[in-house]
Amino acid sequence: MKRKETREEELHEEIRNHLEMAAQERVERGAVADDAAYLARREFGNVELVKEVTRDIRGWRWLEDFAQDVLYGLRMLRRDIAFTAVLVLTLAIGLGANTTIFSWIRAVLLNPLPGAAEPERVVELESLAPSGEWVPTSYLDFHDFRDHIKLLESMSVAQPMALAVGDDVHVERVWGEVVSGNFFDVLHVQPELGRFFTGEERNDAQNAHPVVVLSHAYWHSRYGSSPQAIGATVRINRTPYTIIGVAPETFHGSMAGLSFDLWAPATMYGQLTATGTWMLRDRKARMFRVLARLAPGVNIEQARAEVLSLTAFMSKANADTSEGMSATLLPIWKSHYGIQSGLLAPLSILMGASGVVLLIVCANVANLLLARTADRRKEFSIRMALGAAPMRLVRQLSTEVLLIAAAGSLAGLVITAWLSGALWWLLPLRDAPKLLAASIDGGVLLFTAGLALAVAALAGLAPALHAARENVNDMLKEGGRSGSAGLRSNRLRALLVTSEMALAVVALIGAGLFLKSFYIAKGIHPGFDPNQVALAKFNFSAAGFDAQQADAFCRHLREQLERQPGVTAVSYADYVPLSLVAGSWEDLQVEGYVPGRSENMKIYRNLVAPGFFTLLKIPLLEGRDLTMQDDASHPKVMIVTREFMRRFVPSGSVLGRKVHGWGEWFTIVGVVDDVKINRLTEKAAPYFYAPVRQIYRPEMGLAFYVRTSGSVNEALAALRREAQAVDGTVPISDLTSMNDYVGVSLFAQKIASSLLSVLAGIAFLLASIGLYGVMAYSVAQRTNEIGIRMSLGAQRRDVLQLIAKQGLAFALAGTVVGAIGALILARLVTAFLVTVSPADPLIYAAAATFTMALALAATAIPARRATRVDPMVALRYE
Amino acid sequence: MKERYQNRIELLQGTLDLLILQTLQWGPQHGYGISVAIRNRSGEILQVDTGSLYPALHRLEKQKWIASEWKISENKQRAKFYRLTAAGKKQLTSERSRWAQLSDAISGILNPKKI
Repeated sequence: MKRKETREEELHEEIRNHLEMAAQERVERGAVADDAAYLARREFGNVELVKEVTRDIRGWRWLEDFAQDVLYGLRMLRRDIAFTAVLVLTLAIGLGANTTIFSWIRAVLLNPLPGAAEPERVVELESLAPSGEWVPTSYLDFHDFRDHIKLLESMSVAQPMALAVGDDVHVERVWGEVVSGNFFDVLHVQPELGRFFTGEERNDAQNAHPVVVLSHAYWHSRYGSSPQAIGATVRINRTPYTIIGVAPETFHGSMAGLSFDLWAPATMYGQLTATGTWMLRDRKARMFRVLARLAPGVNIEQARAEVLSLTAFMSKANADTSEGMSATLLPIWKSHYGIQSGLLAPLSILMGASGVVLLIVCANVANLLLARTADRRKEFSIRMALGAAPMRLVRQLSTEVLLIAAAGSLAGLVITAWLSGALWWLLPLRDAPKLLAASIDGGVLLFTAGLALAVAALAGLAPALHAARENVNDMLKEGGRSGSAGLRSNRLRALLVTSEMALAVVALIGAGLFLKSFYIAKGIHPGFDPNQVALAKFNFSAAGFDAQQADAFCRHLREQLERQPGVTAVSYADYVPLSLVAGSWEDLQVEGYVPGRSENMKIYRNLVAPGFFTLLKIPLLEGRDLTMQDDASHPKVMIVTREFMRRFVPSGSVLGRKVHGWGEWFTIVGVVDDVKINRLTEKAAPYFYAPVRQIYRPEMGLAFYVRTSGSVNEALAALRREAQAVDGTVPISDLTSMNDYVGVSLFAQKIASSLLSVLAGIAFLLASIGLYGVMAYSVAQRTNEIGIRMSLGAQRRDVLQLIAKQGLAFALAGTVVGAIGALILARLVTAFLVTVSPADPLIYAAAATFTMALALAATAIPARRATRVDPMVALRYE
Repeated sequence: MKERYQNRIELLQGTLDLLILQTLQWGPQHGYGISVAIRNRSGEILQVDTGSLYPALHRLEKQKWIASEWKISENKQRAKFYRLTAAGKKQLTSERSRWAQLSDAISGILNPKKI
């Protein structure tokens, strides 16, 4: 279509040409030039007026038609306000559910690095253990990657860290990231104020650059957005840092959905964790997350190939630490860090389920529209008889549907605005950086608008075309008497309601499978007893403690806690089983055991204090528990699990066997039973425990366990109170009951099953309403027929059967189709289901029964109404 | 004023369309050429009002009965030429038969044959 201005110019030129030609002809016939031009113009008439009339022909006709359609549509919708309300509400539920889940997906998966430029070029480099499991990367490995990989433009470490900001008396716990000097280059972020890391701050010299960049929010809340903050000093983990810059408001750090308050150089790691300098100089100290930006024109596969070939070389060059290891590149949304790793699966499943709900909504809306189109046949036939083109009617109906869809999507956005924060209530992260709220941004609005259009097309087009296709004469004839409904319209409605039932059955079966799986997983015994246990984590590195100070703190706190009423046992360890974050592992060598060629000897471990097993009621199978004597001055010992023994010491005595780790030989002094470490659903894997007094890893912090015979809340209060009394500068976190803490390990299943149940409920409600609507309409349409049947001697029971049979036929067909669909779809989520078969017969039977029962209810009301029909009234009924 | 022109368009609509389509049957022509052709062929009886001609041309183009393009005229001037499309030819045939019916009917009324 030509632009308006050029059309205007063309018209102008066309008329000018006309005038010139007319004038020229007069000149040729002998007129004076000036007169000829004047006469030609006079003959032509009012040039502007001619233009205007011509313009009218071209221009705004469609707009006027549209305005007329909108006005007429609004009038129609207002006239039947109940009908409109039902439509808008139905659409609002469907669109609201989809928009809400999309806004979550966008915040977590699609837009994981807000504030960064070209975020799709940013990738994550993850090291891979010989088993293929991902592991963090050591600083030395990062160093080599950074200096040798050419297809990555820039590379940075980024590691989230809880930090203590404040003086000796009071500290505040904030979350920061320790990063390389070029972190902001990788993300293409510019400072809002001050500068980012430059010059020397980018080198690898350790503990030499105590500088920090603040987030906009932290700068705003602590420094009142004052420019004076630049150059000011802030105490972090007991060391003064100079503030050099402020990040822009849109930037929150490098982890999807999480928001950090400050960024410090990774070279300060040793100082921040009070571990000196060895951790950045040990290739085995794998603790960093690595981000990189692809070089221009390079795709991720090419860069991944280069990473792979470099790691092949590195694993040989550093065989003592890295044998069999490799690395890969992943897009950010596939990263194992951040909340997206746990949310990818549940959110995709939920998006699918809300799609099902939306389809049901479409079917319902289409059904309602069809019913109304049928009611409006008279109106349409009159309009068509008066000369309205069929397309004009289609446009009229489409406009009405679009109006409804627009209202529905607005109402849906209101629902989304309420619910977009709800994801964070469902998330289990207690001890985590602040979560970014999912927001309704341009992308979400676009999604909703697109969806509304699709719904309008899907639900509105069929009825509209249907109306237009009808023959005018037939309609006029039929419109007068509704003895029998249009056959085609009824067939379409039957199809719609059957697919609705089928979709609802799919949703119901899906929710059933997930719920059953969730409850089975919840019922799995973890191998330890989390009841009546209070938990708290202490961050000693933030307090600047060394091993002796931490040990003194722990012993003192333990003594104080043991005196509290109700407390029956106190212990501590550096890891809590069933945490969301994986624990640490160590390369082991077991005396008398020869590992296979590619066997993974990186064994997960926990560093525990004496009394740990008794407290958690983990059975000691052989040997002894750890004691306070198992400290740095005594020979190194460890306790292994049943599975460890089965794998590595299949014969002979396990006690006294030597195991090599941390560069030393340990003696096995005991064997305990297996417990669930990472997931409730995992199979037992070798695991071992070493005394926290012999191996100290302050960067992990320590968790205190308090078993009480009284109330867990009182124990938690005591934990906080006594810790404050011992030393108030040690940041405390994750103060919670152990039951709550380990319940978190099922959060993905919990989100999926609880939200799926809600969606399935909505789906079912909508489908039942749809079925009821169709049945009620069918009864109304057949009133005449029922009257005839009854006057010819049909009994009420016969009529009841007639109607109920039809409704149940829809439900039955829907159930069968839905069950088959569910069988196919459930295969996709098998990985998510714990010990539940995707074809679990009980779930299918329950879903079928439930569907038939509801269908019976939805059919019963119209059917009963049909039997109350008075034959005489019915025969006269129009 | 505007109404005057619009009224005339409506009055002349069917006839003018027919005349334009018929004129274009002889070959592509610009607006002025069409008005001259109609005037000449009608023996100077039919004067096409430009206020009707251009709206009619644009309307016919919108209905895809005629198409336009900018070309150089015989006087070496750039002008917008209209030509008949395939749909336009069909339309011309049907309008012609309608016109024949109409004129038969009217002349039947004006000159009633005795039975």
